[in-house]
Amino acid sequence: MSAPDNPFASLMADYVGECLPLAEEVVERVIALERLWAAGAEWQETHAPLKGLLHTVKGNSAMMGLAPLQELAHVLEDLVGLLGGEAEGRRAGAALLVRGAGLLTDLIRGATAGPIPEIIPAEFAEEVRAFLQAEQGSREDSQVERRMQEQRQVDRRATRAVGEFGGDGTITTIRVDSHRLDALLEYLGEAMIAQASLRDAARPLLNRRRATDESAAIDQAILGLERTLKRLEGALMETRLLPVSTLFGRFTRQVRDLAHSEARQVRLEVAGGETRLDKTIIDRLGEPLVHLLTNAIVHGIETPEERAAVGKPVEAVISLRAVQRSDRVLLTVSDDGRGLDTDRILVRARALGLAPVSDSPSRAELLALAFLPGLSTAEKVSALSGRGVGLDVVAGSIRDLGGQVSVDSEPGRGTTFTLRLPLTVAVLRSLLVRVDGERYAVPLADVAETVRVGEQTLHQVARQGMMTWRDEIIPVLDGGEALAGARPASRPYCVVLRSSPRPRGLMVDAVLGHQEVVVKALDPTLGRPPAIAATTILGDGRVACILDTARLGEQLTRVA
Amino acid sequence: MTAGRTFLVVDDSRLHHQMYRLIFSRPALAGSTLLHAYDGRDGYAQLLAHPELTMVFLDLNMPGMTGLEFLDRRRDERLHLQVPVVLVTTESSAEDEARGLAAGAAAYLRKPFTPEQLEALVVRMTQRASAAASGS
Repeated sequence: MSAPDNPFASLMADYVGECLPLAEEVVERVIALERLWAAGAEWQETHAPLKGLLHTVKGNSAMMGLAPLQELAHVLEDLVGLLGGEAEGRRAGAALLVRGAGLLTDLIRGATAGPIPEIIPAEFAEEVRAFLQAEQGSREDSQVERRMQEQRQVDRRATRAVGEFGGDGTITTIRVDSHRLDALLEYLGEAMIAQASLRDAARPLLNRRRATDESAAIDQAILGLERTLKRLEGALMETRLLPVSTLFGRFTRQVRDLAHSEARQVRLEVAGGETRLDKTIIDRLGEPLVHLLTNAIVHGIETPEERAAVGKPVEAVISLRAVQRSDRVLLTVSDDGRGLDTDRILVRARALGLAPVSDSPSRAELLALAFLPGLSTAEKVSALSGRGVGLDVVAGSIRDLGGQVSVDSEPGRGTTFTLRLPLTVAVLRSLLVRVDGERYAVPLADVAETVRVGEQTLHQVARQGMMTWRDEIIPVLDGGEALAGARPASRPYCVVLRSSPRPRGLMVDAVLGHQEVVVKALDPTLGRPPAIAATTILGDGRVACILDTARLGEQLTRVA
Repeated sequence: MTAGRTFLVVDDSRLHHQMYRLIFSRPALAGSTLLHAYDGRDGYAQLLAHPELTMVFLDLNMPGMTGLEFLDRRRDERLHLQVPVVLVTTESSAEDEARGLAAGAAAYLRKPFTPEQLEALVVRMTQRASAAASGS
């Protein structure tokens, strides 16, 4: 049964959806088992479900006509039988199992993309069979029998443990194609825009005939519609949220493999996997996180010898944490390695003509320079990411998601990257402002304060506007100049933006109020206009631009 | 041919339930009703509630209650023994297949199977059942 004429070919995405987490769980469980052994613990229940996981992958692959995957899962299932055996054989077996389950994970992930490569899994299966044969030859029958007894005991225990979660038989969970959710979101966006138009259109009517029964009824109905749409939005957002563990799951093996090939000893600690984020964000976070983890292993963490020499534990720790803070999720990637070399960053920044604003830049300002293009481009191409990329690329992808990234580092102690991400990418709480007759939406999460400023509080320092705000001197930009390339003008309001490493101001003509806006991606044919992240349609049907506040900051940094 | 008949699928893999749905939407089996259970216990409860079932497709390997445990318990409790149960296995479980047949499975179906194989099995089993009914 070859894949194209397989009667179940239309279920390929469901196959991946079901089998990928199973294969990832195999990897994690075996790695957990290796750790237990390393800590001196014996036979553990951690590995009892392994056979079942692999068995399901085998059966599913067989039904889908994916013979190479069926075969691979089959030999891995045999390999699991070894884990209860003698120390030497089981360690080698576990290492082989991690490699094989990793291969299985990669092949399953690629199953929707096209035909499964046959030679790689076949060669691996051959290697496993040879290994099993050698192992079996060196074994006494009594040991095999003892192992089988242990296996049966474990199976019984596992049965009891799982048997406790029976339900009342009703189906409480259904799987929905995520494209359908995208479509629902799109329709919701249109309904919200229609509701806003209705409200705007009714306003003169309501104002003219004050408090008649008719106008009160219209007013009530519009408010009711708004409330219902808000609830619908909340419920829909909720359905799109996935635990970040779906993303973290794949890193355990990648970190282990890369650390191994770079001759580093690294332990990955993961926390907050239950924190939830919009599926779109999770889908697009994988690559930047891999870059940060790769950087940590390749550049951050010292060799075991170097660590021993400075009195650090030989095994380095990389921790990946997620936590929700109101409507943002913070993801941190920390290592306990050598830290960023700020002197080198400053030298390179000067060489590239990207020197910071002040002559004696603060540590935070120096660290922020690391995200500028050309500053941190990895010198070494790594196997994990496949190419050397700089932190500017990471920062760019996080910004595209409406997030921000910052870094903290202490020489000799380690580096922490913090990614601040919105829970959702579709609806944005924003502050509407007006500049030269155009309206712009500023993401509310980036706004520290809005202040009315007199001419006398603004100063020009080296062609850069500066303002005093909360006892701090902050740079300010003219809205017209920054957003539309217009001539600077006198504007009465300053929106103070919470940008890293320090706040910045944006001068605007008027502040129109808070509004939730539906984010519409920029048409790719428009390219990437400076300081604009996306667009939205306002209640009157006109388009407004959503500001990319981080890139406004960038322009300022370049003014030297 | 199978219009009005009800089949129960007991399998912990959601993918397999979708496969059964695909197969039962083909012309040969169209018109029959499919019931779904995602573990052995739920499957057993559904068998209890549906003595009119035409046939049960029972996965061998499930956490909680395996296919063999399901069959053993049904035999012990003599629950709707007239409903034929097809034990669905994966290659290399010949020993389990024999145990399943001994525990009262009417047949076994090995993965991977094609829609045609499943259709042929249903035809064979329903003919056998109606022959048994008219013979008695």
